Amino acid sequence: MESDPREPTANQPAPGHVRGVATATPWISATLLVFAAVLGMGGWTYRPPAPATVRVPAWATDNAPVRRPRLQPTLTSGVYTYRCSDCHRIIPSPSETDRTLTQHREIELRHGINTRCFNCHHRENRDAFVDDYGNEIPWNQPQLLCAKCHGTVYRDWQHGAHGRTNGFWDPRRGEPRRLRCIECHDPHWPPFAPMVPAPGPASPRPRLEAGRGHVGRELRPAPTPLRPPPESPRDVKRPDGKGGQQ
Amino acid sequence: MSDKRSDRRGFLAKGFAAMAGAAAAAAAVSPLRHLTGDSIPSWEEFFQKHYKEMTPEDKQAVLERIRRHVEERFQARATVSDPPPLDGVEFVYGLNLSRCIGCRRCVHACVKENNSSRSPEIQYIRVLQMEKGSIDVETSDHHYAPPQVPDPDKYYMPVQCHQCAKPPCVKVCPVEATWQEKDGIVVIDYDWCIGCRYCEAACPYWARRFNFAEPTIPKDELNPRMAYLSNRPRSKGVMEKCTYCLHRTRVGRLPACLEVCPTGSRKFGNVLDPASEVAFILKHKRVYVLKEDVGTLPRFFYYFDERGSRYGEPLS
Repeated sequence: MESDPREPTANQPAPGHVRGVATATPWISATLLVFAAVLGMGGWTYRPPAPATVRVPAWATDNAPVRRPRLQPTLTSGVYTYRCSDCHRIIPSPSETDRTLTQHREIELRHGINTRCFNCHHRENRDAFVDDYGNEIPWNQPQLLCAKCHGTVYRDWQHGAHGRTNGFWDPRRGEPRRLRCIECHDPHWPPFAPMVPAPGPASPRPRLEAGRGHVGRELRPAPTPLRPPPESPRDVKRPDGKGGQQ
Repeated sequence: MSDKRSDRRGFLAKGFAAMAGAAAAAAAVSPLRHLTGDSIPSWEEFFQKHYKEMTPEDKQAVLERIRRHVEERFQARATVSDPPPLDGVEFVYGLNLSRCIGCRRCVHACVKENNSSRSPEIQYIRVLQMEKGSIDVETSDHHYAPPQVPDPDKYYMPVQCHQCAKPPCVKVCPVEATWQEKDGIVVIDYDWCIGCRYCEAACPYWARRFNFAEPTIPKDELNPRMAYLSNRPRSKGVMEKCTYCLHRTRVGRLPACLEVCPTGSRKFGNVLDPASEVAFILKHKRVYVLKEDVGTLPRFFYYFDERGSRYGEPLS
């Protein structure tokens, strides 16, 4: 049986050749079938290892200022809105002594050494602030009050180097809106409040647990045991122990 | 010869080899099955001229084609414009390192404004968390995720395209798909880019991003105000980068990253105007240029306040 295909080809090449083509026909069709089958298999195709679509968090793209102060000397209690002078005209404030407040106790005054109400609020007219000479500063111009102490910051703010400007850079095209001090800073507790950071990049982080150092360094074989993270931020200048001589 | 032809072992081997070859060939060409209309350029797209060689009529036709394409792809009505650079304007960016708290609002506002791909993720701005007292970017971390920022032991340095006056990315482009406009913005013609990524390698600020896969943008988050050279949707295989939001800034508005910044650390304007904010900053504040030594002359300046960073410091 094994020598069967050999004999006719040895004697008669032409018929054997024809028969070889005939034998190859299933091979050709099988080959084409395999081609088609692999082409049809979806699982073998390359899929980019991209993570799922991450939507932009809406709170992270909100342009609103961090504070929305009322630029009016009003106080809302329940459904009523009072002007400051409505109470303070009738009830004079006691002189400033080191005592526990009986009113406005929600205010936490953490403004450094500025611990006196009347450093900023006008003693007689509570609907205004007070300047260095005892004159009134209108309630809607709080930057003039802050400028009493924070001169360099006020100078920067006037020229736009400090503080937020929204809208237009080109005043011919539209109005730039420069935010005022208290739209970012709480006047009673002025440092800019910490906030939750928006999500970081989803890129792979080929870094050590220590989370420090150049990426390229860590792709090399790491020495064992791994170097512990530095104890204090001052020590991180040479995370790989190199470069001390440079 | 006749022996070889009729050898059963050889016959089987050849047959299986042919099948294996066919399988390999099929596997190699199988990605072609995923070609969609988006991936195959249309006739007019294929023969589109370089941006600088287009006549105004050509440009109008191209903008209309892009508008139709966006409508098909996102079912959204978009306006595609091509604002020219303004005369007597050179844009400069200032960033106050003393005030930045690393909240990453700018990163996400930028992604949304510029129709950047959400998956794979493309972000133009990288906020580096730096060790205080160090300017070594190699010890920085941009994956930081504390419950609250700022960390009092760190400072934050957002890095994006610096729109250099001597841009190395432009120099290396083999097809002139990227160039510097006269207002200083380095732009990319996404239809001319061949995706060689030379510019990505040349940039010392890691500012250029590559679309490794077809970019995905949620349809409801698409920004319909588009420009040819900035935030129109990109396709797979092209570079992109920050353009100072030229579709906004060339009509007088401020960039999206600046408008969202809660601290006001970001400053933008025309440096040729002596009354502008950035001109004041360059004249009066202490300014730091990232990698000044590489000689790229960036139009992006970091600056400081008098007493340095004050956040987190006790007020007593």
